[in-house]
Amino acid sequence: MSTDPPLKELALHNITVRFGGLTALDDVSLRVAPGRIVGVIGPNGAGKTTLFNVICGFVPPTSGHLTLDGQPWRPRPHQLNGLGIARTLQGVGQFGGMSVLENVMVGTRGRRAEAEAMAALTRCGVDRYAGARPGALPYATRKRVELARALVAKPRILMLDEPAGGLDADEIQWLASLIKETGTTVLLVEHHMDLVMSVCDEILVLDFGKPIALGTPEEISKNPRVTDAYLGAAA
Amino acid sequence: MNEFIYLTFDGLSRGAVYAAFALALVLIWRAARIVNFAQGAMAVAAVYVAYSVTNATGSYWLGFVAAIVTGLVLGVTVERVVMRFVDHSSPLNGVVVALGLVLVIQGVLGIFYGNEFLPVAAPFSRDAFELGGVAVLSRYDLFVFVAVGAVVAALTLLFTRTPVGLRMRAAAFAPDVSRLLGVSVGGMLTLGWALAAAVGSLAGMLVVPTELGLHPTAMDVVFISAFTAAVVGGLDSPIGAVVGGLIVGLLLSYVSGYVEPTVAPMAVLLLLVVVLLGKPGGLFSSSKARVA
Repeated sequence: MSTDPPLKELALHNITVRFGGLTALDDVSLRVAPGRIVGVIGPNGAGKTTLFNVICGFVPPTSGHLTLDGQPWRPRPHQLNGLGIARTLQGVGQFGGMSVLENVMVGTRGRRAEAEAMAALTRCGVDRYAGARPGALPYATRKRVELARALVAKPRILMLDEPAGGLDADEIQWLASLIKETGTTVLLVEHHMDLVMSVCDEILVLDFGKPIALGTPEEISKNPRVTDAYLGAAA
Repeated sequence: MNEFIYLTFDGLSRGAVYAAFALALVLIWRAARIVNFAQGAMAVAAVYVAYSVTNATGSYWLGFVAAIVTGLVLGVTVERVVMRFVDHSSPLNGVVVALGLVLVIQGVLGIFYGNEFLPVAAPFSRDAFELGGVAVLSRYDLFVFVAVGAVVAALTLLFTRTPVGLRMRAAAFAPDVSRLLGVSVGGMLTLGWALAAAVGSLAGMLVVPTELGLHPTAMDVVFISAFTAAVVGGLDSPIGAVVGGLIVGLLLSYVSGYVEPTVAPMAVLLLLVVVLLGKPGGLFSSSKARVA
């Protein structure tokens, strides 16, 4: 669509999230520049998914704020789609009572919904499963359906929550090329280091909710604090 | 044999109304996981509005439209003002609030209209045609079939062929995922209540002329039959509600005809107990366990 507004700049400013006594995110700031692919990594429990939930409005920050294109912004889940922000879910949350095509169509608006949904399925290589029920498909195929459902709204910011989980090497390679081709801003939470290192322009490393490093893949791979966090060595 | 044919048509005609009413229960169950025990009282309120409009204008059809509109408005109001604030951690909360609504609505209707049975005329003759010497259907029965058939067809189209229907299904299935896809889950819930209450009002309009008359509690017995129909169908299944409605209608008709009319309501309760004991998920449900 040529009428699309330009890509948006999303920024987190000193975001802290506490659940009772647990600090899930501790003073995290991140600027996601338009068109960049930004990875968020860290050991389990580092706060990666909480970070996504803050951006999606599922979890309100205890302190700190977000901005979208420089304007203060309070995210609300059902408005993300309209703002051009799409998110995939870790647990492939597809609607069981619907076909694959219908699942993707939920994320579209307008008269060409069905054609656009088919195009998204084709792009993700799963168009032949359009009439199938998602529950009957292999996990990797459902992951692709989940991607199609996020891509169908032509998002300007694409948030991927562990898209490589459960995929084999070939599928991860396919995923890497898809991410690079989208041409949109991508925010990627992922455990699979090869994928993160090969596609990201910039990587934020979280450890127990604290941002411990931010930089290019090269910088991150040479950062001793990152290695320590992953290997559990004393800092 | 003649009696059997007559009772069968009579049962299907009653059953069509129960089907519509059961469908209203299923719509809300699917959208909100609440059995709307206030459905009967809400429908009666809509029929009272129709009664006033028809008396004021002399037109049955203006009253009919007024009943449907009242249903829509009541559905929106009950969801937005009451049900939205019910704590859903226990399914019993919604049930108790709905029962409270029944008392409020029936009380208010009693204050405004009194607790006498008011006569309500049918828009078409209720005298049955004869087919080969057997009385089968009246013009009113045909009207009932057409009206319920149209509602079932419209709802089927809505849920399977329109984007709004798709979003309503999505919102009911997984609210958080739907929100991320831009679905206004609260809006879909309100729409579900509005549609259900309108369908319930239609059922009320269809059934009241065939009963004793209009009374604040006129739909109580109908509610039990329709609730049984919905449970027989599995609560989750619109097709199940329709088939369940027809089964309950036929059961009532056969028991009234062959046994004794006063026993018929007990037969419905017996059916409810048997289904809940033997196949609690209903005849059309895919799920094995019932949560409420």
